[in-house]
Amino acid sequence: MDRQFPSLHRLRRTAWIAFLVAPALIIMVTFVVVPIISALAFSLYDWRGLARGAFVGLENFRQVLFQEPFAGWTRNAFKHNVIVFVTIMVVQNATGFLLAYALFKEPFGYKFHRVSVFLPVVLSTVIVGFLWKLFLHPLFGLVNQVLVGVGLESLALPWLGDSRTALWALIFANAWHFVGFPTLIYLAGMQRISQDHIDAARLEGAGEWNMIRYVIWPLVAPSTTIIFVLTFIGSFNWFELPFIMAGLDGSPFGSTDVLGLYFYRTAFGNQSAGVQDFGKGSALAVLIFLVIVTVAALWTIYLRKREVEL
Amino acid sequence: MRKARLLAAATVAGSVIATTPGIAADLTFWSWRQEDKSVYEELIADFQKTNPDTNITFEAFEPQNYQTILSTALAGGTGPDIIHVRAYGNLETVAAPGYLRPLGDDVDLTGFSPLAIAAETMREDGQLYAVPFASQTLVIYYNADIFAENNLTPPETWDEFLATSQSLLDAGVTPLANGTQTAWQNEILVGALVPSFYGAAFEEDLVAGTATFEDERFVGALGKLLEITDYLPRGFTGIDYPSAQQLFLSGRAAMFAGGSWEIANFRNQNPDLNFDIMPSPAPAAGEPRLVSTFFDGGYAVNAASENAEAALEFLRFTTTTDFGNKLAAKLSNISAVPGVKFEDPLLAKIAEFNQTSASYLMLVHFRYEEPSGSVLLQQGVQRMMAGEATPEEVGKEVTEGIATYHAPFQQ
Amino acid sequence: MTTATTLPTGAEARGAAPIKLQPFLLQVLLIANSVLMLYPILVMVFSAFKDTGQIYDSPFSVPDFTNLVNFGKIITQTNFVTYLVNSFIVTGSAILLILTFGSMAAYGLARYQFRGNTILFLFFLSGLMVPLKLAIIPLFIQFKNLGILDTRLSLILLYTAMGLPSTIFIMTGFIRTLPQELEDAARIDGASELRIMTSIMLPLTRPAMIIAAIHNAVPTWNDFFFPLVFIQTDARKTLPQGLTTFMGEFNTDWGALFAGLTLSALPIVVVYIVLSRQFIAGMTSGALK
Repeated sequence: MDRQFPSLHRLRRTAWIAFLVAPALIIMVTFVVVPIISALAFSLYDWRGLARGAFVGLENFRQVLFQEPFAGWTRNAFKHNVIVFVTIMVVQNATGFLLAYALFKEPFGYKFHRVSVFLPVVLSTVIVGFLWKLFLHPLFGLVNQVLVGVGLESLALPWLGDSRTALWALIFANAWHFVGFPTLIYLAGMQRISQDHIDAARLEGAGEWNMIRYVIWPLVAPSTTIIFVLTFIGSFNWFELPFIMAGLDGSPFGSTDVLGLYFYRTAFGNQSAGVQDFGKGSALAVLIFLVIVTVAALWTIYLRKREVEL
Repeated sequence: MRKARLLAAATVAGSVIATTPGIAADLTFWSWRQEDKSVYEELIADFQKTNPDTNITFEAFEPQNYQTILSTALAGGTGPDIIHVRAYGNLETVAAPGYLRPLGDDVDLTGFSPLAIAAETMREDGQLYAVPFASQTLVIYYNADIFAENNLTPPETWDEFLATSQSLLDAGVTPLANGTQTAWQNEILVGALVPSFYGAAFEEDLVAGTATFEDERFVGALGKLLEITDYLPRGFTGIDYPSAQQLFLSGRAAMFAGGSWEIANFRNQNPDLNFDIMPSPAPAAGEPRLVSTFFDGGYAVNAASENAEAALEFLRFTTTTDFGNKLAAKLSNISAVPGVKFEDPLLAKIAEFNQTSASYLMLVHFRYEEPSGSVLLQQGVQRMMAGEATPEEVGKEVTEGIATYHAPFQQ
Repeated sequence: MTTATTLPTGAEARGAAPIKLQPFLLQVLLIANSVLMLYPILVMVFSAFKDTGQIYDSPFSVPDFTNLVNFGKIITQTNFVTYLVNSFIVTGSAILLILTFGSMAAYGLARYQFRGNTILFLFFLSGLMVPLKLAIIPLFIQFKNLGILDTRLSLILLYTAMGLPSTIFIMTGFIRTLPQELEDAARIDGASELRIMTSIMLPLTRPAMIIAAIHNAVPTWNDFFFPLVFIQTDARKTLPQGLTTFMGEFNTDWGALFAGLTLSALPIVVVYIVLSRQFIAGMTSGALK
């Protein structure tokens, strides 16, 4: 690089760059890198409450992966994370795509609709969780009052109390909260398609469906990759919404349990468990971490490739 | 600060406690009893009459997160001087890593019930870590006005209980306010409604290691709960704990299975509510009506506290009848202090119920290791009440879960 | 690219509807969606003006908007105002630090070639995907060692760490697009590197800074998990955490609950409605490039 510069200059240049980068680097190392590595180390120890005991190798992992009933709980929670991810990926994002397309056509009032679809996204999960918990109340909640009001009394279920509907109710609340996100990402993707492209397709006589299928979709598909990763991270990190709406136990009987709740409950205990196990908790954290990082790493590689292409 | 240490040293060296001219210290006192804050501040003021130089700041946290907040603070080497700790397994979580100061001979607990002392003792080292503060009893609350309006008297046997519930239902009143969405409420249902069915002898056998939760007495008791599903609110699987309280408080439901800690709360939230309490129904006329009891927690001293002597002084204060009487009168707590008078008619009733009691089984005996008996039972009963498991399956599941660490169940 | 279709459109003018049914359906879809998005929020606001009995018995009615009892309860009987101030302090300080350190690092990475540049960039980028929640206990011990446990500073530093990756990502991309000529000209004039950065280059990055600020301000403002564990003193709680406290206290008073939710949602909703374009750009950035 700057080999022809005198060494004093080089030194000053190095100092200058270090000055620029150091604060961010120090903060990231202190509050991200060190804690994450410590969490990995913690999973290899036996813990009594939060006091570290003997080194036990992979024993904590063995328990959460292979010893009943912990292994069953892990499988159950993992299964729910997968269901959440797949459902959100399909339903939330397909709805988002459809809404984006509707907005893209710029019908009457589209500016208003664009603002309203994104409004819930800015709300805190705590607000959304409490709001929907009140709305889904079996007796006094808005949802059942509406159903009874229109004569669908048989559909007025205890949504959060029935093991067949509880997880879906949470997913619905999540979709209500976040559907605006993929919508606007797809919309931005569509708006970058050149008008010539669309006009050309129209001249060829493409109908609405073919327009979506052969013109719009291929051009906004790259956004889906990113939405995939964000949805994936979000789904495997899911904690606040089930915590507020279903409680730490993943009520009823584990039908809304996800890895985030299970991790928190194991590490910090709850009233009924009476026990805090930071070893098993850390092991769960590491497992969740590995799942997420694998996918995230693939994304980074992908991004890097794209950077090179640009 | 230094003066405090010197004085503390002097006290430990054997000076007479009563004449200690107060210890200059600023203490913090953590608790999960948010709603009791003003009374505790009053009690602290009483304490300061004899210890004018000791300041105590009472801070209360959300119950659900209290254990987390406390353990993380203690693990980080901080935390309060005086700690309101829970009992049994939760106590061990904070006592086992050495966060609490063993009380030894520093506090005199003569006259306290052995069960109370056991609740705050760690099984491993046999040391007492906290002054027990109150016991709790699970009862059935009923709305006396609704009963009167419908010409009903409190039921005594299970069959009467069912008949009463049916009459209420026919009259358009929800008989029982409870729901099963909040997991721990399911364990409450067992402890409040059917202890007379499994009985105190079952508990003895359980402790002796000769019975498991597959025992027909316990399974039969669980089965009784299935007979009340019609009398719970519509959509009870979606009714959480606050909703259940609300149904009872607003007079929309006639009965509520719950703990004695509800008394103060109910009176507070609806001063006009005319309610009374009864123990669980007897299986047949003339048989004993049991209540489930447990000790709620106690006051402990942080092992890392720099003001241990001042904190211990406060703990000694909590063993006095003055303290106990006030706790009973103002917070409707069944104080663990011996010789406390329960002026309040409901508390007096509970004290009487407690003469015929069994332990709140899982909390007292099986909340020490994972998977805890409570977690297993709560999930099992929740599933059973939703119609997705039989009492036998629940008993089996609970037994198998506990058997992973409890030798007597491993056959 | 396109295949033959059975439905010839014949539309010439841009935006003209090829088939009558579809715009209608799309319009219905949008209206239905807006109702679904807004109606719950409207009910929340309406319910805040009712007492619990009214909410149960006439959930859909328009309330008496002069009945401010519930709001009075929230303002006077809870620490709502304190929580609100804390949220402002924490979010404001974190954003300030994120923008300062983030743009410094981004500038270093974007404008200078040095050994390790790419690795460093990737390092920061990987921070985008780290689920930091999982490191909650080590973080706790870290804060304890630094003596900042149970302080707003602990949250500010943590949110700064969490916001830096996206900020560096957004800002690096933007700074790279700035023309080299500006910088060269200033250098020939003898301007110092610091001066080039602060007076010439950074002022040009304002659009990216706004995007980065909003991208991080919203999740920071809304975060619930970290204060849940780190902040114990009530006077230092932020709004979402404080909200759970008074949701617990008023659990049988639905009117007060809805008032609490309404007041908590109010600040960000108002700012969003005023700045919706920037919000949308900010929050979806990072997913767009």
